Parts: sequence; C-alpha cells; structure tokens
Amino acid sequence: MFQQTWRRAAAAVVGLLTLTLVACSEEEPAKDLSGNRAGAMADYGVGDQFTATEPVSFSILYNNHTFYPLKEDWLLWSEITKRTNVKLEPVVVPASDYEQKRSLLIGAGDAPMIIPKTYHPQENAFVSSGAILPVSDYLDLMPHFKEKIEKWRMQPEIDTLRQSDGKFYVLPGMHEKPWHEYSLAMRADILDQLGLTVPKTWDDVYTVLKAMKARYPDTYPFSDRWHKPNPGGALLNFLGASYGTLAGWNYQHVTWVPNEKKFVYTGASEQYKQMLQFLNKLVAEKLMDPESFTQTDDAARQKLANGRSFVISANAQTLVNELRPDLAKTQPNAKLVKIPLPIGPAGEINPASRLENGVMISSKARESKNFVAMMQFIDWLYYSDAGQEFAKWGVEGTTYTKDAAGKRAPTPDVTIVGLNPTGSKHLQKDFGFANGVFAYGGKLDLVQSFFPPEEMEFQKVMNGRAPSPIVVAPPHPLTDEEREQASLWETPLKDHVTQNSLKFILGQRPFTEWDAYVGELKAKNSEQYLDMVNKAYERFQKSNG
Amino acid sequence: MTVENATQRPATARRRGIRPTRGYRIFQVVNGVILTGVVVVTLYPFLNIVARSLSDEAYIIAGRVTLVPRGFDLTSYRLIMSDAMFWTNYRNTVVYTVLATTIALVLTTCYAYVLSKPQLKGRGVLAGIAVFTMFFGGGLIPNYVLITSLGMKNTIWAVVVPNAISVFNLLVMKAFFESLPTELEEAAAVDGLNTYGILLRIVLPLSKAIIATMVLFYAVSFWNSWFTAFLYLDQQDMFPVTVYLRNLIAGATGAQSAGGVADADAVQAAATIQSVTIVLTTLPILAVYPFIQRYFVSGVMLGAVKG
Repeated sequence: MFQQTWRRAAAAVVGLLTLTLVACSEEEPAKDLSGNRAGAMADYGVGDQFTATEPVSFSILYNNHTFYPLKEDWLLWSEITKRTNVKLEPVVVPASDYEQKRSLLIGAGDAPMIIPKTYHPQENAFVSSGAILPVSDYLDLMPHFKEKIEKWRMQPEIDTLRQSDGKFYVLPGMHEKPWHEYSLAMRADILDQLGLTVPKTWDDVYTVLKAMKARYPDTYPFSDRWHKPNPGGALLNFLGASYGTLAGWNYQHVTWVPNEKKFVYTGASEQYKQMLQFLNKLVAEKLMDPESFTQTDDAARQKLANGRSFVISANAQTLVNELRPDLAKTQPNAKLVKIPLPIGPAGEINPASRLENGVMISSKARESKNFVAMMQFIDWLYYSDAGQEFAKWGVEGTTYTKDAAGKRAPTPDVTIVGLNPTGSKHLQKDFGFANGVFAYGGKLDLVQSFFPPEEMEFQKVMNGRAPSPIVVAPPHPLTDEEREQASLWETPLKDHVTQNSLKFILGQRPFTEWDAYVGELKAKNSEQYLDMVNKAYERFQKSNG
Repeated sequence: MTVENATQRPATARRRGIRPTRGYRIFQVVNGVILTGVVVVTLYPFLNIVARSLSDEAYIIAGRVTLVPRGFDLTSYRLIMSDAMFWTNYRNTVVYTVLATTIALVLTTCYAYVLSKPQLKGRGVLAGIAVFTMFFGGGLIPNYVLITSLGMKNTIWAVVVPNAISVFNLLVMKAFFESLPTELEEAAAVDGLNTYGILLRIVLPLSKAIIATMVLFYAVSFWNSWFTAFLYLDQQDMFPVTVYLRNLIAGATGAQSAGGVADADAVQAAATIQSVTIVLTTLPILAVYPFIQRYFVSGVMLGAVKG
C-alpha cells in the first residue's frame, strides 16, 4: 500500500520535472505581434505624440524617493493619462531598498511590466532566468529611441550593453553629451589669500595643497568624503579617470587599452599604481587627511565647515545644498568653488558615460494584448523630445514657461532647485515632475536646464574635452557559465584590490611590494579572469564584428 | 537585572548580621563601574540624538551638539509632524503592533501550554516542527510566493501573521509552564474545570510575569520590524513608520544614487529630521518599557532558571 503511494508520488514528481523541462526548452515565441496591438497606434513615428487608441493601464515599479514621495494627485499622473490615454499603476518601493525588492519581484515572477531605474550591469542577474525581455528585439516599435541612437551616434555605447546572445535587456537613458558631475571643491578665498590660481592639473593640486599646508600647518588641507560603498569612492573614480583607469565607485575589473586592443586587469595596471602613488604622496606629506577614506560624510563636512580642511570632493548638488550652507553658518566669508576636473596623465578628457540608468521590461508584458502600445508609450515618454521635456518640466503654461529663445523657467509660484526660491509649490513634491523615475538624460539644453550659471561654466569646460577612450569599451559579453565563474572570482579580487589600495595610499604597505601584490591577485585568478574577458571580446568580434 | 540583585543581597546579608566579605565589596565596586560605563555608552548616543533633534542645524554641522541642545529649534518637529504620510505610517505601526502582538501572544501561549504537558502524545514532533524553523527557512522568494498565493500581499495579514510564533519565545514560555506545579492543575481538574478552564482560570492568572515579558518581546520586535512590511506591501499608505524612517535616512545619506535633483530645504534639514524621526519613533516603546520592566525581570528569570 505504502509502496504504491510512494511510487505514484515518484511518478508525479518525474512527470512534473518533464513538464518543466519541456516548458524550458520551448522555442522563443515567434515575433508575431498581431495579438498584442490593442490600443497601439498604427503609424507611430518620430515626432508623433503617442496616444493609445483605447484606455490602457500598465504596472510600473516605482522607486519612491524621500525628497518627493509619491502622491496620487500629482499632475504628472493625470497629464500622462490625458496625453497618452495610459494609466500607470505604480508598485511603490522605498528607494532605500529598491534593488532588493526588484530582485525579489522578478525572482518570484511577480514583477510589474515596466521596471525603471536599472543601472547596467544590474540586469545581468536576470538575463539567464528569462524573466526580462530582450528589448533589442523590439526596437522597431520605438522610433524615437532608434532616432536618438542614430542622431547622437550612440551605437558603440549601446553595444556595451549586449549580452552573449548579442541582445540587450535594458533600455538605457541617453545623454546627448557626457555629463560629468564630480570634481574637487576648493576654498577660493584661501587660494586668493595665498596668491594662487585655480589648479589645472593634479600636479597643480599638489602644489596648492602644499601651499595651504605651509600656511596652516595644523590642518589637513584635503579631507574627503564618500567612503561608501568603497573607500574614496568618488575621488578614486575621477582621479582614476585622469590616470586612465576605472577605480573607486566605478571600479571595473578590466580596463580597455585602446592602443593595444586588449583588456588589462585594472587593479594590477600601471595606471592604477600611479594613481595610488599620487594619493600616497598626499597622505605621506600630511596634505590629505588619512581619515578621508573611512570617515562619515558628516565628519568630512564638519571639518570643512570648521576650517580644518579646505578641499573636498563635490558635485553641483552637494556644493549648493550642503557645503556652502554649512560654511555660510560657520564662516560667512568663505568662498567655495568646484574646480574643473584636474588633468592627469590621461590628458584632457571627460570621463562621463553618455548612458544612464534605464528601463527593463518584464517578459510577461510580451504576452499582454497591449504590448505594442506599451513599447510605444515608453518610447514617447522616455525618448521623444516632447516626452522628456514633459517628464522634466511638466506642462507648459502651468508649471513652466518658455521664452522666445527656448529658455525654460518655472511659472512664478513653482520652485525647483534654487529657481524661484519663493515659489509656494514644488515641481517635484507637488507636481511629480523632474522625477528620477521618469526624467533623465536627453538633449544638452534639457539636461542643463536646471543648472546654475557656474555649473554651466563647469560643463562648458568639461564638454570641451575629448570623451575618455576607456569609458566605452568594446562589448565582451560573458556566457552564463562564464558569468557564474566570474562572479566567484570577482568578490575576492575586488576585496583584495580595495583593501590593498587603501594600504598603499596610507603607506601601510610600501610600493616595493607592488609586485608581491600583483602576485597575490594572480593567486586569486586575476589572470584567468582577464583571459576569459579577452576571449569573450574576441568571440564577440568574430560573431558580430 | 544584575544591579538589582547586587543591591538586594547585601541588604539581606546585613539583616542576618553577616558582613559582606572584602572580595564581595570589591566585586560590587568593579561591577558598579563597569555597569555605569555600559549605561553611559548606551545612553549617550540616544541623548545625543535627542539633543540634535532639538538643535539648530548650524550647531550640528559645527559638531558642537553633544548632550545639551544648542540653538533650541523646533522647526524639524513641525516639519515632520505636518507630513501626513508620517502620521499615516505611524498609525499603521501602532495598529500592526497591537494586532500582531495579540495574535502572537494567543498562538504562542496555546502552543507553549500544549508542549508543556508531558503526557501529550507526539509532543516531540510538535516541538521539533517549531525548532526546525529556527535552523532552516524556505528562503525569501518561496516565502514571498507563499504569501502572495495566500492572497495576503498588500493586506495587514501579511505583516501580522508570518512572524506570529517566535520559537525562542515559545521555548521560554514552555519552560515557564513546565515550572508551574502540576498539583494546582490537578486540583482544578478535581474541582471540575476542563482543560480550557484550567488554562484560562488557573494557569494564565499565575503567568502574568511571563505574559508581560512576551508582550514586551513581541511588541518591541513588531514595532521595530520593517522587512516584512517592505516585502509584502507596495502601497505607501500601508507602510509602517520604520519603512518611512529607513527611506528618509537612506535618502539623506545616499548622495551617489540621488535620482533627479535634490531639493535644498530637504537636504538642509536632513540631519535634524533624522533625529526627530528617530526620537518620535522610539518614544512610545520608551514610555511603555518602565512599566513592564518589573515583570520583564522576573519573567525572564523564571523561565530561564527553572526551565
């Protein structure tokens, strides 16, 4: 009796397994979209306003930012519906743990149709499961997206998103011009006092710091912030760019060497070493606070505000919102400026990428009868000039006005980042526009439309520089097995690089041990890793080149 | 706990006319010093937060706020209290905590009482089932799928049901019930009470200490929990205040991933706003604690020593 039941259960399990296997090996759904056109426009092209031919609704994962928590009565929602006949149904996730919830929902098969705010290569984790859509198969439904790629010559950047099957799975945000934000902020009044000019190169920065130290021997002239997620995240990132390597926040295990047409292991490269040596020099001569790499942001801000340091990493936002107000309260005469990114051995480059975070589409959405309408809607909202302007500025006449020259300004009672500070309504909080979920990238004048004049100056300098050749590496997509192997190697390698970077900078490990350190990386499979990437690059060249 | 014992024992000793030994006195002094140190270390961050919440932003940035608020300022309190979402979420936390604690208490008491009866058949299996979950879990995604397919997603039940039985609490309570003299229950049975009557009229009235302890354990853990709510809820107005707080703090510190453009006032006030929210969120537990603490000490001791 028991035996029989047992056998039956076993049979059932085997049956189930077979079913799953069959389901898995099923052919890709044919690209027949005839059943998915409900609500779609028949001839939707560049310059057209998308309006669904019948009311449709799409679920969307919504990253809820504390500075502008979602409100249901936002003009954003009603105006989207008015213009496009689309009702968005947000699944609200607190921004603090957005990524975790996204993984959970996708893993559980419960993801909304539209999944924005995905930073490449985050989508890699979901590709092999088949839970997200290879959007590159459906670009024909997105005329504005295609037009932007062509007009702005984005193809090389787009190619970096490709997976080993040659497809890409995320619709990236795109900037017409690279937008580099981070650099050093310096006390201009101290520079004046010492009779110095704004430093142009990193060597000048060294000279300036030395002069500051000579005048104020009790201070560390440079005390930095942003030690998360890895020490010196921002500084190593832009300093590394000046040295031609991908360090800090943006640490990549491999860096492309354009002249030699191959990749090198970043943490073992000569450029990386030089970058560390520069910082080591600053720390050794007590020009840079050794706590820079571990202290909290607040501690670094306090030091700057109290005149115990004069230089700090900054972007336009922190300069205006944090550093200057801090100083204004403690040292009213201080003048803080963000200097153009100092030039290093890599020459006059702009290290920013033109790609932004982007949108993933759930595979389930492909089966929806409104699939085509949804792709057209995304194309309009995220990629058409009109859609981008709408997402950022709102409704002309209500939230903003445009003068004859095309310069936008908020309407008198609307305020946003220092424009119209007396306005009673906030463009983000009260209307939902300029919202990180919908508004990013776009044409230069749109991206810069919130910038204060000094930031415009900064951008002008940066845009005069050549794009960094290492930012857009040629595609080298790994296969699933390779990626699994790679992820096993990556964590110990990265930990070792991070730890030892700090040791070298702080002088806890002398540079005479550099070769030993490179040997340790090899023992952690850096060579095999590099080999795999170089092979993947050649493979992709052969099949797609 | 220890402080109380330390002061009680010599008192009784003196009454009996025995002088505490020299070694014991030294122990007392050392003990006192160490515990005072612990108190300072635990209390300081909290007092600092309270002081920050009442201070002017400029003094905080200058790093001059320690224990006493400087530049007394209530703007942040006004700002937070005028945010309707904060109060909605605060109310949610209260509702979730009360309901979840009630459910947890009923379930844990029933389970523990049953387990405490040696004559129960299959007692080992029942206990085993509970203990098993201490060491093995289904994992995040299966749990999520389970809750979703039970139709509990985006309902209050997703928050108040899944963690209703904490195995640790269950075992503490079981040990307590086991320590009750069986004669009492036998006498009650002779007097004509059935099982439920014994539990409700005899056992529970004798278990106030352990029940108070359980209320405290459960209430604090539900009050502080955010993860379940974060997993199973996706509507802002259903979140507990912990999720609100977590997002607020992350938003204020995560400069790197700040999407779009930050607003000047928001960032400006961030430091005090964090403190204000923390103070407002901890306050209720803080207010309740002293009243339950009495039971708490004896409750834990009873369960622990006699089990």
